[in-house]
Amino acid sequence: MTIGEALAEGLQVTVVGLAIVFGVLVILMLVLMAFKAIFYKEPAKAAKALPAAQSKALPAAQKADENKAESADDGELVAVLTAAIAAAYSTSTYHLNIKSYRRVGNASPEWNKAGLEDVINSTY
Amino acid sequence: MLDAFSSFLGSTGIAALINNMMTAVSSGKNILEVIGTPLMIAIACLLLYLAIVKKFEPLLLLPIAFGVLLTNLPMFQNSSAILMHTEFFTDPQYMIDGHLDIQRIFAEGGLLDLLYLGVKLGIYPPLIFLGIGIMTDFGPLIANPKSILLGAAAQFGVFITFLGALAMGALIPSIGFGVNEAASIGIIGGADGPTAIYVTKTLAPALLPAIAIAAYSYMALIPVIQPPIMKLMTTKEERSIVMEQLRPVSRTERILFPIIVTIVVALIVPDAVALVGMLMLGNLIKESGVADRLAKTAQNGLMNTITIFLGLTVGATAKAETFLTPATLGIVLLGLIAFCFSTAGGLLLGKLMCKLTGGKVNPLIGSAGVSAVPMAARVSQQVGQKENPSNFLLMHAMGPNVAGVIGSAVAAGVFLAMFA
Repeated sequence: MTIGEALAEGLQVTVVGLAIVFGVLVILMLVLMAFKAIFYKEPAKAAKALPAAQSKALPAAQKADENKAESADDGELVAVLTAAIAAAYSTSTYHLNIKSYRRVGNASPEWNKAGLEDVINSTY
Repeated sequence: MLDAFSSFLGSTGIAALINNMMTAVSSGKNILEVIGTPLMIAIACLLLYLAIVKKFEPLLLLPIAFGVLLTNLPMFQNSSAILMHTEFFTDPQYMIDGHLDIQRIFAEGGLLDLLYLGVKLGIYPPLIFLGIGIMTDFGPLIANPKSILLGAAAQFGVFITFLGALAMGALIPSIGFGVNEAASIGIIGGADGPTAIYVTKTLAPALLPAIAIAAYSYMALIPVIQPPIMKLMTTKEERSIVMEQLRPVSRTERILFPIIVTIVVALIVPDAVALVGMLMLGNLIKESGVADRLAKTAQNGLMNTITIFLGLTVGATAKAETFLTPATLGIVLLGLIAFCFSTAGGLLLGKLMCKLTGGKVNPLIGSAGVSAVPMAARVSQQVGQKENPSNFLLMHAMGPNVAGVIGSAVAAGVFLAMFA
């Protein structure tokens, strides 16, 4: 087999092969799009509530986490904070942008802390 | 007494080693064949080092490396201690009309011969897919159907490498790469160990150890191979794109998805059903939520058992005479090309989708289309987060990532349908 023949045959297989791979996955994509149309109902309430939550979330995030510019290796902490705020306000991380954060001391009495821990442990 | 001692000495591995080397020298074989045994043992130790110290996919590389060691221990010909007879599976002399001589394997085969039947008969890779199916979450894919195309684009490398291997075979005829071998080498670009093994054991069994070792080593190296390509092919702005949150996916969708995929794939590429079918069965066992016990067994006990058998026996096919050849070097080179082009293929379509959606898709998730779950998705997340620390691409990248598994299994089915 010369290199020309080899490449000609290979190209045929490549075109047919890629077409089949794309074909199968395009069909699956259409199925999934149909899924969305059939099973997913846009929660109308959530859509309206989102901007409100967002406007609340932003100042809250800034208030709680003031000052102190983030350094390069803070990525993980920022990720956790964003996720926590998003969960607390039941919104998406998409709308949140942590500008800064600051550690605040926990001055509550020991009994309160113990009580809080009890509640957390009993729930989860 | 002395006789017994000397006959024992004559049966030791040392005697076998010296005897085999002398025979090779006297029959005028090349240097590689003379020092083949010690060289392979050194390679096995190197692989063990990579697995244990460098942690390259240790769950697989460790058994593979030990298989290489076991199969290359010096033995006399026809010794009953030989664990693996690769010739039973590849040499027509030991077969009946090109089929396995099962009687002979049962009668004369060693431990690894018997375990290797699971590879040769195509049992292990689908069972591993069963476990993978249970551990796979198709939610991100169902939520973002377009990302399934990225899993198809990342199969680009499979076919480019197929072409490359054909060209190499035509340029260097002695390397012996025909279409079957080229297809097996190309599928390395699917970045999916069981799929590569499943194709190779059918199309080019002699290349199995080299292809499996190349596939698993490069999968372990994904965090090294991908980021430079990703940075080269995307702009800073593209990398910092934040994607919209995925919609919630209902249980009904999660249950229907595996069933429909199995049917669709079977209707178009029946040869891919062994892999895709088991993958989807595993996923259905998990998502249905009614067979927790099966899920636990299949993703732990069963999968780990199979992993040991598969790794050990694939490694054991790496005998000096078939492994120490130019073909192995070619496979190592082509495997790297496969990974690079698969990454590039995914990124290119990612960029296109980014343009078409007006900047809503971060092209970095495209590189996750090369299966290698979940490492490739994690690489997308890390590269994205470097540009924008509060960017979370992981779940978006899981979509193309799991689509890549389906894509490479379909590509494997295409090759099997054409050449097997």
